[in-house]
Amino acid sequence: MKDRIKETESRALSEVKAAAGQRDGLESLRIKYLGRKGEISELFKGLSAIAPEDKAEVGKLLNELKISVTNVIEGSFASLSAKPSGVKNSIDVTLPGISRRLGNLHPITQTINRISEIFIGLGFRVVEGPEIETEHYNFEALNIPLEHPSRDAFDTFYLESLGGKHLLRSHTSPVQARFMEKNKPPFSIIVPGKVYRPDATDASHSFMFHQVEGLCVGKDIHFSDLKGCLETFAKEMFGSSTKMRLRPSFFPFTEPSAEVDISCIICGGAAMEKRCSVCGGKGWLEILGAGMVNPKVFEKVGYDPKKITGFAFGMGVERIAMLKYGINDIRMFYENDERFLRQF
Amino acid sequence: MRISYNWLKEYVVLKESAEDLSEMLMSAGLPTESIENIGGDKIIEVEVTANRPDWLSYIGVAREVAAITGRKLMIPLVKKPEIKAKKVEIKIRVEEKELCPKYTARVIRNVKVGESPAWLKARLEAMGLRPVNNIVDITNFCLFETGEPMHAFDLDKISGGEVFVKRAKKGEKITAIDGVERALEDSMLVIADSLKPIAIAGVMGGLSTEVNYATKNILLEAAYFEPISIRRTSRKLSLSSDSSYRFERRVDISNVNYSSDRATELICQIAGGEVGEFIDIGVKPAKKNPVSLRYSKLDSVLGHKIPPVKVKKILTDLGLKLKTSSKDKISSEAPGFRYDLKDEIDLIEEVARVYGFNNIPSTIPPIVAQEERMSSDVAALRKVRVAFTGLGFDEIITYSLLSKKIIQNTALPVESSVCVANPLSIEQEAMRPSLLSGMLGAALWNINRRSKDLKFFEIGHVYGKSGSDFTERQFLGACITGEMSNWADGSRAYSFFDLKGAVEAFIEALGIKGISFANASDCRFSGASCASIEVAGESVGIIGEVDANVLKNFDIKAPVYACEICLDKINPYINVKNKFKILPKYPSVSRDISIIADKNTPNLQIVSIIRASAGEVLKEVRLVDKYSGKQIPDGKISLTYRIEYQNPAKTLEEKEVLEAHAKVLHSLESELGASLRG
Repeated sequence: MKDRIKETESRALSEVKAAAGQRDGLESLRIKYLGRKGEISELFKGLSAIAPEDKAEVGKLLNELKISVTNVIEGSFASLSAKPSGVKNSIDVTLPGISRRLGNLHPITQTINRISEIFIGLGFRVVEGPEIETEHYNFEALNIPLEHPSRDAFDTFYLESLGGKHLLRSHTSPVQARFMEKNKPPFSIIVPGKVYRPDATDASHSFMFHQVEGLCVGKDIHFSDLKGCLETFAKEMFGSSTKMRLRPSFFPFTEPSAEVDISCIICGGAAMEKRCSVCGGKGWLEILGAGMVNPKVFEKVGYDPKKITGFAFGMGVERIAMLKYGINDIRMFYENDERFLRQF
Repeated sequence: MRISYNWLKEYVVLKESAEDLSEMLMSAGLPTESIENIGGDKIIEVEVTANRPDWLSYIGVAREVAAITGRKLMIPLVKKPEIKAKKVEIKIRVEEKELCPKYTARVIRNVKVGESPAWLKARLEAMGLRPVNNIVDITNFCLFETGEPMHAFDLDKISGGEVFVKRAKKGEKITAIDGVERALEDSMLVIADSLKPIAIAGVMGGLSTEVNYATKNILLEAAYFEPISIRRTSRKLSLSSDSSYRFERRVDISNVNYSSDRATELICQIAGGEVGEFIDIGVKPAKKNPVSLRYSKLDSVLGHKIPPVKVKKILTDLGLKLKTSSKDKISSEAPGFRYDLKDEIDLIEEVARVYGFNNIPSTIPPIVAQEERMSSDVAALRKVRVAFTGLGFDEIITYSLLSKKIIQNTALPVESSVCVANPLSIEQEAMRPSLLSGMLGAALWNINRRSKDLKFFEIGHVYGKSGSDFTERQFLGACITGEMSNWADGSRAYSFFDLKGAVEAFIEALGIKGISFANASDCRFSGASCASIEVAGESVGIIGEVDANVLKNFDIKAPVYACEICLDKINPYINVKNKFKILPKYPSVSRDISIIADKNTPNLQIVSIIRASAGEVLKEVRLVDKYSGKQIPDGKISLTYRIEYQNPAKTLEEKEVLEAHAKVLHSLESELGASLRG
């Protein structure tokens, strides 16, 4: 009996294997082995003739035979129906999907968002301020005397008067004084926003553009902190191999003041004579202005410069975006051509 | 300012090339704009910041090179000129001592005015100046060499033997050496003889006393004029000169006499002549207070210790005189040419600058914990942007300054627009009172480039007037035009409801409850489809189909749907703090109801009736079908609403649903005269 069981199993398995892929063949094998009058049922009938002491063992073997053959036949049927069953029910999966495309954020917004994320990581907070300003916030509060040559660097649009003297901010720095008047240190803020300067429009100038201002003030803020933050920014914005250098400069609202350059993102600072179209072979790109907040600026908002130090910086967003994306004409940002907008 | 490499070599040894010199100056804070080759010389164009007028001269730049390299500065030695004519021939009267704290003059007789020698001409040409004659050329040469602008008058053309430093009379006129006649104001300082102004002080000399080849005797002026006065005059007259540029940035008052002597010596050498007495009127330069520098402050500002020995060397190399020195601090006196060094922070900057910013280490400031890393309005803007891009809108940024014509074309009032007093062009004259103009401009741009499916949004300020104040509010604008299409459903033109749906979705994304739309009229939009957008009963914006005339003005032929929402107004309703609500335990039951009602019955009215009549078990109601045509009588419409019933406390029984549904039907019948569609 045990031999018959073994023999039946190996025969059934090899026959099923041979019939794989043929629905009819498998069906007749199913009837042959598992049918009501099939071979396995016949074997079960023979169980009554087995000696009582062997009955349990043989019964178990028979059950295992039935499960094994059932599994292999059902498995063969399953793999049969998984294959394409004919042209009748199939779809053209290469037809385009039906959906609406997502919209894109303007590259200026994306750049501001990236700058914000970097500085948020450094503990900064994002705030905003008005574009229509007074001479006080745009100039005097920033230690730029009204009748001083240091104002020449800040050509400004004035508004037709309603009584007072108002202008369109020529930089985001007025928010420094506005924020400090209402808040106590320590704090670190960045201020993105639009600024306006009466510059004739060409590929690299626009009368309206965006800046991000930064201001970090506290009891023990150093020039070295300014360097650390800006270096982190440069590497996170332009890649970890980016180098940074500071050149002494002059801004009335910071002292010491610096112009900040990064190694050219195209030639990597290789300074290839005039060959690099981005840095003109200089190897460096000017990206922002920065410095330690001038004590006079603190005095004007009622902070005690003996106790408080801080740093500030300002960068042009269009400049950063143009470098980052390789855009060569600032006017493209304001044409809003969808073929441009959808690239970013 | 232009710096000739060859000329600079006269004052300091230059071991480096012009390019390396330019790098060195840049590291000191004097950046180069360009380097130009001119016949064996190199001209370095440098950009001098407003705080360093001492760099507006060769000696000044050479002094910086000497300070940073430790080389010797070679200032031309000048002997006191020998006075040959003792007699005082001219009287100087300084009437405005505040505007002119120091005025010097010297007569030189019997000069031979002629062409300058070749070396002198070459120097001026290197500066981009046209040589005039030896006397004028020498004063110009000295201006660049010493930084002190000087002027030579033809002595014989000065009337009355007296020279006045005074304010001009209002309306008085002068023709300057550029040949232009200008009317003066009484705020302007002039040099005058007894009859008329002969120079606009510190700005430009007069034509009538100009030195020319016929001149025999000259009066050489060297002075110090107050910067603000010169700046005002120069601005009012729109006349800037090498001279006014230096005076308004402040010349070194202690350098006036040296410069006069230097020019006198060169005149005697080149043009001959007999020198008269030196007239020197005005205050002696005031003693400056020493400035102290605490090492602890230096360390705390820089975040880096610089050894005191190094600090002292840097300051003395820069020409400061050490007064006192202790373990904790030093005090020193700045030289006359460094008027900018007045406070401790100025000295800190000098030390850091020469020490090298790039030699100071980098650190990260302590982080202050804050609950929010963005102010609430900035955070809200982010949400708005996420919502609109998710809805398939591209963000645009348009100019806030527009032409008045575009504002008119958008059917907006120009009179109430904020205008720029000094526009660059009429294209950027007025500040936008609405985002619509910019959106239509962007739509046109893309339509002209054959775009058929446009969805834009913009976030930006709009500006207005309110009494004597300007207003500036944050707005959201969105517009759609064209059609949507895909291969399965074909194409369908955008409608008002596509934009309305986007507005509803974005409002929902911000967690704002209670938005509604009410018919409105606005001349920017078509009367037939325009609504005000209301939140909690307050109008926060407008939506509609852009008026046909407005579109015509923009030359747009396709219908455009647009909306504008004041973000400042919806800000208070934005729900940022979401609290979890327990999910309903019991299933809801949904039943449709189809009615035939008058064609013009507003959806809102029907929904309100359903809400009011269904009772507490109503969860939601929405329109699922709208049909008119065959089987529907004229003037009527068939509407199907899907009503969802739910009881939060238990499973609804069939009886309850039937009851509620019956009430709904009854109310619709009795209040609207509607009937159940069979």
